Amino acid sequence: MHYRNAKGNLIYSMSDITQVLQAIRSGDGRASEELLPLVYSELRQLAAARMNNETAGQTLQATALVHEAWLRMVGDNNRTWQNRAHFFGAAAEAMRRILVENARRKSRLKRGGGQTRLDIDDLDLVATSPDDKVLLMDEALEQLRTQDPEKARIVVMKFFGGLTNQEVAENLGVTERTVERQWAYAKAWLFQHIQGQL
Amino acid sequence: MSNEETLFEAARNLASAAARRAFLDQACADAPELRVRIEALLESGTEVESFFKDAVRFDLTPLDSLVESRDNRNLEFPLAEGLGTRIGRYKLLQKIGEGGGGIIYMAEQQEPVRRRVALKIIKLGMDTKSVIARFEAERQALAMMDHQNIARVFDAGATETGRPYFVMELVRGVKITEYCDQNNLDTRQRLDLFIQICHAIQHAHQKGIIHRDIKPSNVLVTLHDGVPVPKVIDFGIAKAIQVQLTDKTLFTSYEQIIGTPAYMSPEQAALSGLDVDTRSDIYSLGVLLYELLTSKTPFDPKKLLQHGLDEMRRTLREQEPQRPSTMVTTLQGAELTTTAENRHAEPPKLITLLRGDLDWIVMKALEKDRRRRYETANGLAMDIQRYLGSEPVVARPPTRLYRLQKLVRRNKGVFLAGGAVAAALLIGLAISTRLFFLEKAARQRAVAAEEQAELARVNEAQLRRLAETREKITQATVLINQEKFDEADQLMDGVSVTQPTVEGSIVFRALGEYHALRSNWKDAAARFNVLVQIDQLDGWDACTLDYLRYGPTLIEQGDFDGYENFRQAAIAHFNSGKYPFADRIVKISLLVPANENLLKSLEPLVGVTTQSIATNEDANADIFLAAWRSVSTALVEYRRGNFERAAGWCQQSLNYPEHIAPRTATARIILAMADQKLGKINEARSQLEEAREIIENKFNSQLDLGTPMQGFWFDWEFARILLNEATALIAGNPKNLQNL
Repeated sequence: MHYRNAKGNLIYSMSDITQVLQAIRSGDGRASEELLPLVYSELRQLAAARMNNETAGQTLQATALVHEAWLRMVGDNNRTWQNRAHFFGAAAEAMRRILVENARRKSRLKRGGGQTRLDIDDLDLVATSPDDKVLLMDEALEQLRTQDPEKARIVVMKFFGGLTNQEVAENLGVTERTVERQWAYAKAWLFQHIQGQL
Repeated sequence: MSNEETLFEAARNLASAAARRAFLDQACADAPELRVRIEALLESGTEVESFFKDAVRFDLTPLDSLVESRDNRNLEFPLAEGLGTRIGRYKLLQKIGEGGGGIIYMAEQQEPVRRRVALKIIKLGMDTKSVIARFEAERQALAMMDHQNIARVFDAGATETGRPYFVMELVRGVKITEYCDQNNLDTRQRLDLFIQICHAIQHAHQKGIIHRDIKPSNVLVTLHDGVPVPKVIDFGIAKAIQVQLTDKTLFTSYEQIIGTPAYMSPEQAALSGLDVDTRSDIYSLGVLLYELLTSKTPFDPKKLLQHGLDEMRRTLREQEPQRPSTMVTTLQGAELTTTAENRHAEPPKLITLLRGDLDWIVMKALEKDRRRRYETANGLAMDIQRYLGSEPVVARPPTRLYRLQKLVRRNKGVFLAGGAVAAALLIGLAISTRLFFLEKAARQRAVAAEEQAELARVNEAQLRRLAETREKITQATVLINQEKFDEADQLMDGVSVTQPTVEGSIVFRALGEYHALRSNWKDAAARFNVLVQIDQLDGWDACTLDYLRYGPTLIEQGDFDGYENFRQAAIAHFNSGKYPFADRIVKISLLVPANENLLKSLEPLVGVTTQSIATNEDANADIFLAAWRSVSTALVEYRRGNFERAAGWCQQSLNYPEHIAPRTATARIILAMADQKLGKINEARSQLEEAREIIENKFNSQLDLGTPMQGFWFDWEFARILLNEATALIAGNPKNLQNL
C-alpha cells in the first residue's frame, strides 16, 4: 500500500517491503516484480539527494547506495539471507537502470542539449569516466542478455549491485561454484566486447 | 554450457601458460577460430580484473553543475554562441561541429564574394601569432591546391579574443566511415572512394603540402547528383597549429591537440623532431584503408595510450599489426556480422576477399620503415587499381603460383575454353576410329588450344617483366631519395617502361639530370628518352619541360639523327591539341636549322604561341611567360629567314623588365645572328660578345639544376648550343668554344 506525497514522490511504508519479501520467500513469483519499483524509487531519491550535496568529480560506490537503501527500507533487524539476496537482486537491477539513465542524461548535457552535430572526434583518450564505463557495460550487457540471460543477471548483481557470490547463488538458487565460474566467463566476454566497441 | 565456455573454464584453471597452450593445442586442434576466441578471453585476464575490480561507481557530478559548466565554456568564448556576430569578414550562422581542438561554424562571407564557408576556431590556448605565421608560410602552396576532392582553405586570422581561426570551403557531409557503413558499401565501392582520396592527397603532395592528420573525421563524403564524393578537409591546419609537444602536453591534452594516435605514423609519434614527410600521410592513408575494410584501426586507440607514451611509441614502432583479414577473423559474433553486413558480404566471404592482395596492399602502406611504404599516394591508388583489375600488385613479391592465379582470373574465358578443348580432344580421340572427321576437328581445336597456351605463356612473361620493372622503380625511388644515384642508375639500366608510372617518371628525370650535370650526354639522353615515353603513356600535357631536358642532350652528344626524330615526334605529339606551353615545343624543335617541311608542321604550335603572348600581356600580365614566348617566336622567324621580324621579337623580349640570364643571353644570340644576316656586322658582334660573357661566366662553375627565376640547366644548355651556331656564323669559326 503506497501513495504519493505533495511533491509527487512515491511514498512507501516499511511494511510494503517486508510484505513483498515475505511473498517472495513463500514462492510467489509475481512478488519480485513488485519489489523492483519500490527499490528503484528509493534508490533514485537517495542518489538525487547525494548529487545535490556533492560537487563535480565526486564518485560513490554504487553498492554503497544499495546498502544504504537496504538499511533505510528494511532495517537492520531483518537479516535473513534469503530476504537480503532478493532485495539486493532487485536493487542491483534498479541501480543499473538509475546509473544508465543518469549517465545518458549527463552525456547528453555534456554534448550540448541534443543538437545534431558532426562528431569530429568521438574518441576519448583519457581513461573512461565512471559514466562512460556504465554506458559501455550496459551496451555489452544487452548483447550478453540475448545469448545467455542467466549470465546477464549475474553480471547485474555482481557489477551493479556489488553482491557476493553467496548472495547471487542464493538469489538464483544455484551453487556458489557455478556463480564463480559463470562470472569469470562473463567478465572476460564483456571485456572483449567493450574493447571491441572502443 | 557452450563448448567455448567449457574449454575456457578448463583452461582458466590450469596453472601455467604453457599448460594452457598444450591443452588448447589438443582441444582446439580442428577449430583454430575457436582457439583464437578462447585465447583472447584468457589473455585479457589481468586487465579484466582491474576493469571489474571496483564495482561500478556513481559519478556524483550534479546535473545542475553540468549545465553551468556549459555556460562557463561559453564565457570562454564570448563569440562562441553568438550566432550572427562577425569575425573578420565572416558572419557566424550556425554551429556545425566541435572537436579536433576547435569549434566549427557555418559562416557567411560577404566580400569580395558572398558565399557560405566553414569557420573553425581553435580553442586551445596557444600562441595565435605563430599559428597564423605558420599558416601564412604555407598559404601560397595551399592556394595552389585545386582538386575536387580537397576542401579549399581560404583564410586564417585571429578572433577578438585572440584565438586563431581558419576559413575553409563548406563541406556538407558525413565521416567517410559512417557514410560507408550507413550505405552498406561493399569493398569495391569503398576502394573506389579511397582511390579518390589517394588522388587528392597526391595532388596536395605535388604542391608540397603534407596533411599530417588524415583520419575519418577529416574525410567527409558529400553527394553530388547522387554520386558520393569524398572531400579531404583541414589541409594545412595540423601544420599551423603544431605545438611543441612535450610528453606532458601530449598526455594531458593529447586529444585536443592531435586527436587520436591511431592514425599516426611511427615517425610522427616519435616526436623526435625528425622531419615528417609525405610518406607519413601514406601511413595514415593505410590506417584509413584498414578501417574502411575491417571497421577497426590496426591498433586499438584506447590501448595505445593505456600504458603510457613510451609504450605507445614502442607499439607503433615495433609491433606488427594484424593483417586486415586476420583482424576480421578475431571479431566477435555480433560485431563480425555487423562488419560484414555493413560491407554487403557474408563474414567468410569478407575474410576471403581481404586475404591476399588487400592484406598486402594495406600492410605495405603501414610499413614501419617509411622507405618501404608506397612512395606516393598515387602508387597506393595504382596498386588498388591493379587489384581491382585482377592484375598483380606491387605490394607482394611475385611467386610463380601467384602470377598464374592472377593470369587465370584475368583470362577466365581463355582458360575455361582451354579446359573445354582438352575435354573435347579426349572425347574426340575415343571415338575417332568411327568418326574420323571428329578427330580432325578436335585436332584443329587442339592446335588452337596450344596457341592459346603459348599466348598465356607470353602473357605471363610480360606480367613478370612488368612486376619486376615496378619493383625496380620502387627501389630506385628509394635510392634517389638517399642520393645514391649510381646505384639507382645501375638498377634502371636497360629498363623500359610500358605502363604509366609517376614514380618511374621521377626516377628517370632525376637520373637524366644527374648525368646531364656531369656532361654524360649519352646516358642522360637514354634516361630522358624513357622519361618522355612515360610522359606520353600518362597522357600528361604538363611534361613539355621534359622535352626541353631531352633535346639538348642529343645535340651535345652529336646525335643529329636522333634529334631529327625527336623533334618530329614532339611536333606530331603536341600538334594534336592546344597545349598551353606550345612555345616550348617550338623552341626545342629549332635548336638547329630546319627544313621547310618541318617549319610548316610547326605552324599550329607557332600560332598558339603568338596568341598566348597577346593573352599574357593583356589579361594576366604574365611577363615571365611572355618574354620566353617572344624568344621562341624570334627563333621561328629567324629559321624562316624573316630576320627583321626575328630581331623585333628579340628586342621585345629584352624590353620586358625582368631579366632571366639564360633567356637574355638567348635573345641576344638570336638578335646577333639576325643582325649579321641583315648586314649589321658591328651590332651583331657586340650582341654576341655580351651573350658570350653571360654564358661563359655561368659555365665557369659547376652547373646546377637551377630554378625558374635563375633559369634551369637546360635553359643554359640551349643558350650554349645557339651560341656555337652564332659564333660559327659571325666569326667564321667556333673559336675557343670547344672547351666551353
